[in-house]
Amino acid sequence: MRQTKYIMSGGLAFSEDKDMEKLCRYSLKGWHVSDFTFMGYALKKGESSDYIYSVDYRWLKEDEAEEYFDFFSSSGWSHVTSEGDIHLFRAHPGTKPIYTDRETTVEKYENSINSMKNLAIPFVFLTVLVWVGTIISSGTLKTILLVVAAILSVIAIPTAWTVITTYSNKWEVEGRRGVVNLVKTIPFLLLLIAVIILLFVGGINTTVDILTSMMIGGIALPTAIWVIMSLNHRIKGKKD
Amino acid sequence: MKKTEQLTDSMSYIMAALTKPRHGYAIMNLIEETTKGAITIGPASMYTIIKKLLKQEWIYLHDESDSRRKTYLLTEKGREVLEEDVKLRKLMIQLAETGLEEARE
Repeated sequence: MRQTKYIMSGGLAFSEDKDMEKLCRYSLKGWHVSDFTFMGYALKKGESSDYIYSVDYRWLKEDEAEEYFDFFSSSGWSHVTSEGDIHLFRAHPGTKPIYTDRETTVEKYENSINSMKNLAIPFVFLTVLVWVGTIISSGTLKTILLVVAAILSVIAIPTAWTVITTYSNKWEVEGRRGVVNLVKTIPFLLLLIAVIILLFVGGINTTVDILTSMMIGGIALPTAIWVIMSLNHRIKGKKD
Repeated sequence: MKKTEQLTDSMSYIMAALTKPRHGYAIMNLIEETTKGAITIGPASMYTIIKKLLKQEWIYLHDESDSRRKTYLLTEKGREVLEEDVKLRKLMIQLAETGLEEARE
């Protein structure tokens, strides 16, 4: 019988709580998370147990790890797995939360921002630069730059969105609801603006075509990732 | 110069437990026992605050021979900060106590 299984993550920045609840539900069915994988979690079959999950973000130096994990295990949180600066813990229901005050919870999200923004900000900046280059150049160079810009954008847009969401997670803990709601409307505003521009430039037919392809892409891409990762785990599971 | 910023409750509790050398787990236990479980400090909050207090030089690494259970102790500066904090908290407790007393009469 197959002993491992793959489930997708909603992206920790976007749905940390939902992800943790999902892991909880799977544990009740006897599927316990054992590792982070590309865009998701690997689960292993075991006995059904009632577990709660929590995640923390922190870069640990070699001489810090032992003490850090000891704090958690002494408090009843066992370490499941880590990936870079992301650490996943599990405990029995009723265990005190890993963060117990607002000040340090805010710092949790600051930690996750710090590790991302160093990568994201130069990247987004580079993407903008290449787009500017595309506009001011001509001929073959323009074509090349256009391709590069398009590829960069595919990565830069989700990255920028993730960073913005992480900031909004932090503001939410700080109680700045107004800013959070504003940030949450930004993607919809951008989509609306894009649709309006499309309507002017391409007319109704083109707009509908593009929106339909975007929707199909939006559903097909996650499905494809899920299918590939599941197959991958099925094959690995058989080998074990 | 800016006056010393007010300590958060958790920072103050942890510093109160560090008048003697203690490791993280002992600090958490002491706070819980003292308040009969009313106040608990989670491991991630604990770790964040220990790092912060070290950076402020209000505590220092007292003994690292056991890398799992390093012990910490207040520095001279930390002791002063804690004393200031206790004074401030006492004033607020007094305010509450006299207020409650008057309300009872």
